[in-house]
Amino acid sequence: MAEGGGGRGDGGDKVRDEFFSEAQELVDGLGRDLLALDDALKHGRTDVELVNDVFRAVHTLKGLSALFGVTRMAGLSHELEEVLDDLRLGRLEVTATLLDLLFRAVALYSRILAAEKGDGEEPSAEIEQLLLALGQTSQRPTGRGGGGVAQYDLDPALFGVLTEYEEHRLRSSIQQGLSLFRIRVRFSLATIDSALDELKASARPHGEIITYLPSGSGADVDTIELEILMAGRATVDVLRGAIAAPNVAIEEVRRRTASSSQPAGRPAEQLVSQAAPPLATSGAASSAPPAAPRQPPAVATRADAAEMSLRSVSQTVRVDIRKLDRLMTIVGELAIVKTAITRLSERARARAADPRELAMELQRLNRSFDRHLAQMQGGILEVRMVPLGQVFDKLARIVRQISRDLGKEVNLVVTGADTEIDKLIVEELSDPLMHMIRNAIDHAIEGRAERLRVGKPPVGTLALNAFQKGNHVVIGVEDDGAGMDPKGIVAAAIRRGIVTAQEAAELSPRDVLALVFMPGFTTRDVATDTSGRGVGLDVVKTNIAKLGGVVDIASDVGIGTKITVTLPITLAIINVLLVEIAGRLFAVPLASVDEAIQLDASQLRAVDSREVMTVRGASLPICRLDRLFGLAPSHGARKYVVIAQVGTRRLGFVVDEIVGQRDIVIKALGQSLKGVRGFAGATELGDQRVALVLDVAALVEEVLSPGEARFLGWQPAARGA
Amino acid sequence: MAAPSKARTEKRAARRAGEMGSRTEYLAFLLAGENYAVRIGHVAEILRPPPITEVPRSSPTVLGVISVRGRLVTVVDLRRRFRLPEAPLNTPMDRRARILLADVGRGEQIGLLVDEVQQVWRLAVEEIEPANALGGEQPAYIAGIGRPAAGDGTVLILLDLDPILESP
Repeated sequence: MAEGGGGRGDGGDKVRDEFFSEAQELVDGLGRDLLALDDALKHGRTDVELVNDVFRAVHTLKGLSALFGVTRMAGLSHELEEVLDDLRLGRLEVTATLLDLLFRAVALYSRILAAEKGDGEEPSAEIEQLLLALGQTSQRPTGRGGGGVAQYDLDPALFGVLTEYEEHRLRSSIQQGLSLFRIRVRFSLATIDSALDELKASARPHGEIITYLPSGSGADVDTIELEILMAGRATVDVLRGAIAAPNVAIEEVRRRTASSSQPAGRPAEQLVSQAAPPLATSGAASSAPPAAPRQPPAVATRADAAEMSLRSVSQTVRVDIRKLDRLMTIVGELAIVKTAITRLSERARARAADPRELAMELQRLNRSFDRHLAQMQGGILEVRMVPLGQVFDKLARIVRQISRDLGKEVNLVVTGADTEIDKLIVEELSDPLMHMIRNAIDHAIEGRAERLRVGKPPVGTLALNAFQKGNHVVIGVEDDGAGMDPKGIVAAAIRRGIVTAQEAAELSPRDVLALVFMPGFTTRDVATDTSGRGVGLDVVKTNIAKLGGVVDIASDVGIGTKITVTLPITLAIINVLLVEIAGRLFAVPLASVDEAIQLDASQLRAVDSREVMTVRGASLPICRLDRLFGLAPSHGARKYVVIAQVGTRRLGFVVDEIVGQRDIVIKALGQSLKGVRGFAGATELGDQRVALVLDVAALVEEVLSPGEARFLGWQPAARGA
Repeated sequence: MAAPSKARTEKRAARRAGEMGSRTEYLAFLLAGENYAVRIGHVAEILRPPPITEVPRSSPTVLGVISVRGRLVTVVDLRRRFRLPEAPLNTPMDRRARILLADVGRGEQIGLLVDEVQQVWRLAVEEIEPANALGGEQPAYIAGIGRPAAGDGTVLILLDLDPILESP
């Protein structure tokens, strides 16, 4: 877990990593700006400065992606730039539908980046669709549209290299209805100048050469292949006759037919919405009734989007230089300590000093060393911290997209976006949170009519809040939707065979809600595109548990649902309690330890074959770890109970000895031990020994799983001051 | 005495073998009195056993985990894996006991506890018998039987580590 990847010394990789990092940041920023635009639009304003920002971001992306040969991205950026330029110059108006397209572009950017990283397929079909839709949106006073260009089978990357003038010529040629030709010519490097002039001369009567570029393919040392783009009225045969040569290949750039560039039966104008001003691009556009219900984007897109991950492709952390300066200062302090130790050891070797004086000096140095090391550790941890806002911004985009897809009105309220958490956790957190939000909008928040009927505000509210609580970060996802109906949950759970009717009758209200986290649970019989695709809340729970976190759920019928995720701030260094069980050392993360008390045998009793201890008047279930782990119990007189708290559940672990606290770096157990439950990893104790770190959340879950815990009826004990 | 002449014999054998074509290097080790060998390419390192931390609830053949320069490595007891008698007094920490760090795919290394590491043999194809030479069905981890020409009748059980590492 804490292990870094192998050394990636390759310079090319490093440059590419920087590309990913920078592109991801631009895309994230783009998403933020679009959300702000969307917000402004809701208040009836158009923020010109924001449109400019978006334009600049896309322009930078275009350059960046062309530089790194990510042609899809360059092509997409180019079309976007067109539309944004129109927006900027007031030729187009900012509409919700147009924003839909731009948001789709942001999502596609992320997927292109992921695909470039080798993570999933490049969404070519969706890009094509979007390019088409964008092309038809773009509206120039001359009537020439980007869509005209998009209809030709041209490499989108081409636009990354055309000069403005060349591009202008290309567009106006298309506008005039000229044919486009692609001519591939191989020249000998020695004679290229004269040969090219010759070719130009023979082509001129038939049309205009718009650009020529090295094709980069099939060239050897002595020759170069050029790709020439030409526009003209001649037919391809005439042209072939005019510039026939063995080294020349001419083909006409074909117009894409509607069926080849889009899924059949889905006219392009449905991708753009009727809200856009009527366009004079193609005849087909006007054939659709303007009032036609807005079709959601192609189903394939939606399904993919459901599988999509919000994880960013970049592992980079941007660091405030002041944080680094502070670290540097500490390193300086450590260097001073080191010098002092060197001097001391020299003195010791010279035997000039009094041993006691040396010992005192050493002790002093040791203290100083400890202090600086702790500062260093804290400083590095701080560098790993990023604000949760990074995830929340992405989630805001998802909220907008899903609510529009489902035709629901949802107002997202975010608080605590500046709460900081380990970068690794942030990355792993985005997908589970996205899932919860999907669920909330799809299942919980009612449609406008229904909300009005039950007397709620017509627009639903989804609250995303975060705050720090000790060494934990608490994230809440709360909606004011229909709430979860215990009867419905129980019925669904019985239908799915998760519980029997008899078992269900004995469940407490809390346990009933916990059923939604069971594998295979769903209340829907038909999966929708947005949620309910078989990936259930159990996956959310598992993924959060992997991060050492817990999920709690509370819901009131008719009022709403709140899911709370509690996570450790960092995974890198954790504070543990070292305990001894049957002669072996184990580490218990202090984050989940409430307190440790002496085991009082007189307060133990058996309830339903389970040991329960009375602690300050409340019942606490007890788990004997030596038994659970199958270790020979030691017969020491005195034992201790380490009380763990996970979410609202408490469990006492019986241990033989409490050794002390320690800051440790946790390491994951190897693949070969992945089937072993109950351990989060292990840590080296410094004397070559290794101690296993208990996975408290998993152990509590195992011991108190609904199957057994529900008969227990214990109440969380009142917490000590 | 005998040793130098033996070394000479070996050298001669090796030279002869070199002329005969390709050879594979095997690392031979002792396990409950038997000679075993694995392809040396699989072995990344040979360690003196550090303290091993038992992992409750893991497979009985897993002795536990050790830390090798800050990395956790799962250690498998090959005696238990091959259902050989337990080491006397159940103390695997004999002076000569070693852990072979074997490379597994997936970037993981697994430690194999053996009684004693012996030597490296370079075996030619002719010196390796297929596993079924033992008669009957043999477990998947037995790749064959090595009979080094220079080995004075030494018989090596050649192991294929993959089946062992897949399910330690």
